[in-house]
Amino acid sequence: MTWVAVARKDFRDAVRSRALWALSAVFLLMAGGISVAYATVDEISGGAPSAAGLVFFVAGVIGTFVSLAAILACYRAVAGERDSGTIKVLLSLPHSRADVVLGKLFGRTAVLALPVVGTLVLGVLLGGALMGDVDVLATLLLAVVALLFTLAYVGIMVGLSAAAATTTRAATYTIGFFVVVELFWDVVVFGIAFAANGFSFRGVTDFPAWLYPVTQVPPSSSFVTSLSAVIPDAPTAAGGAGGMSPAQIDAFFATPWVGVVALAVWAVAPVGLGYLRFQRADL
Amino acid sequence: MAAIELDGLAKYYGDVTALDGVDLTVEEGEIFGFLGPNGAGKSTTIDILLDFVRPSAGSATVLGMDAQARSERVRQRVGVLPEGYEVYGRLTGREHVEFVVESKGATETPADVLERVGIADAADRAAGGYSTGMRQRLLLGMALVGDPDLLILDEPSTGLDPAGVREIRRIVRGVAEEGNTVFFSSHILSQVEAVCDRVAILRQGQVVAVDSVEGLRDAAETEATLRVRTDGITDAAVAAVRGLEGVASVTRQGDEVVAGVADSAKTAVINALEDAGVAVVDFETEETSLEELFLSYTQGDAGARAEGPDTPAGEEVDG
Repeated sequence: MTWVAVARKDFRDAVRSRALWALSAVFLLMAGGISVAYATVDEISGGAPSAAGLVFFVAGVIGTFVSLAAILACYRAVAGERDSGTIKVLLSLPHSRADVVLGKLFGRTAVLALPVVGTLVLGVLLGGALMGDVDVLATLLLAVVALLFTLAYVGIMVGLSAAAATTTRAATYTIGFFVVVELFWDVVVFGIAFAANGFSFRGVTDFPAWLYPVTQVPPSSSFVTSLSAVIPDAPTAAGGAGGMSPAQIDAFFATPWVGVVALAVWAVAPVGLGYLRFQRADL
Repeated sequence: MAAIELDGLAKYYGDVTALDGVDLTVEEGEIFGFLGPNGAGKSTTIDILLDFVRPSAGSATVLGMDAQARSERVRQRVGVLPEGYEVYGRLTGREHVEFVVESKGATETPADVLERVGIADAADRAAGGYSTGMRQRLLLGMALVGDPDLLILDEPSTGLDPAGVREIRRIVRGVAEEGNTVFFSSHILSQVEAVCDRVAILRQGQVVAVDSVEGLRDAAETEATLRVRTDGITDAAVAAVRGLEGVASVTRQGDEVVAGVADSAKTAVINALEDAGVAVVDFETEETSLEELFLSYTQGDAGARAEGPDTPAGEEVDG
């Protein structure tokens, strides 16, 4: 297994993307602004800003940032090397195709970890300084879950890139994923509820219990839900379409840990499937 | 043990045949030229040797190891100068070499490698800003890391200035002097001719000739084009010439007969024409160059070429 060499090379390459750093700068500013607003504007914090609540506000910024930055930083990860021909440099060395995919996964996760941790630290410290309180445990847990979330998103994008023969197709797959699974997942959830209810609509409170895991499909939803699972006394527990809360549902899967499971699946399955396709491809 | 052994190697992309049953043995320690026009299947062959592409039929063995099943072991011992000279634009020359050294577990220092190919002063510049020649030097340096037993060069002369071409030759000879094998793919005969011990000529996915460069040169020298001007030609005279031993092709062009002939058959052609009652006004012979011979292998009717060389294809009109 020589994937560490691939990861190191890939990190050095991807970390020099100007577009990624421009996007990171925008989100750093946004994280700073949002945490200041949370700490000082009652209408935003609901009148009772808390250090744990701030963590969830910062998490929201990270959720959006990672989903966009992962597309930007990863859609060309494998397909771009096939397009340009550098894959023939890479694979003329004694790397297996699994080494290539793993190296890309961890190399690019490490690149994205930099702005993610930066955003997190800036947001939590700035807001914390204004409130005079920092929840250290919640911040550390946010860091851990945010890195798992980053790994999952990079896995999705690297997997789609590995499955694509050209950069154009990789762009279609990755942006298509974002549009369907992140932007319009609410529509999908409501559509399923509508169909399950005999094509009539009765309202969110009447959603069947089994719909709850479906609402956790978008990685950014499962990210926020995972946070509420691991952070004790989390003030906001609802992530996902329709605001379904596991507290209102009586089923074994009605727990925010569903979010952790969803993140774990996202971290493993797409990159695994993408690898299988890449493994069989003629380059 | 052969450095490369291809056995019935075939690759089909749907209806398109890229390789059609290639058998080839490259011995250890030789500089082997792999010649053919663009699209003949040279790159596909190299892609199979490196497991970029999986064969539809047949097998490829590199340094005694199956090119598919043991690809990583193969690539551990092979150095490759890929076609097109693509590099990672954001990485420096030094970082490229560091990556190769780490990937192969080699011991070279990147600075020495870059020195060896003459781009040490550009070591810390991003390779995206390198000229074609510099990129090619960088990739050549990378290909030589770890002292490979087999060096594969895919169209190494494309886009190079004469100095770069000479540099390639110097390095190729150096690699061979150390007892290693070089597999040199090119569509330019003169590049291969200058450096290779043996060549295979590939055409439309098939090997149409394998010979030493001397052997090919001999074949070229025994072939000539004989052009005979007469005062009027008859079909019987043309038929008589065609029936002669050592005559590969006959073409009638107005009052002229153009024949591809072996050296020994020239006089027989003149005699046969005169015996058939045709008056010979004048005649001239043109020696076939190695380049023309190569063209004759790679153009026109492949079946005839498999038997042996004859006149350049362009002259085979209504014969």
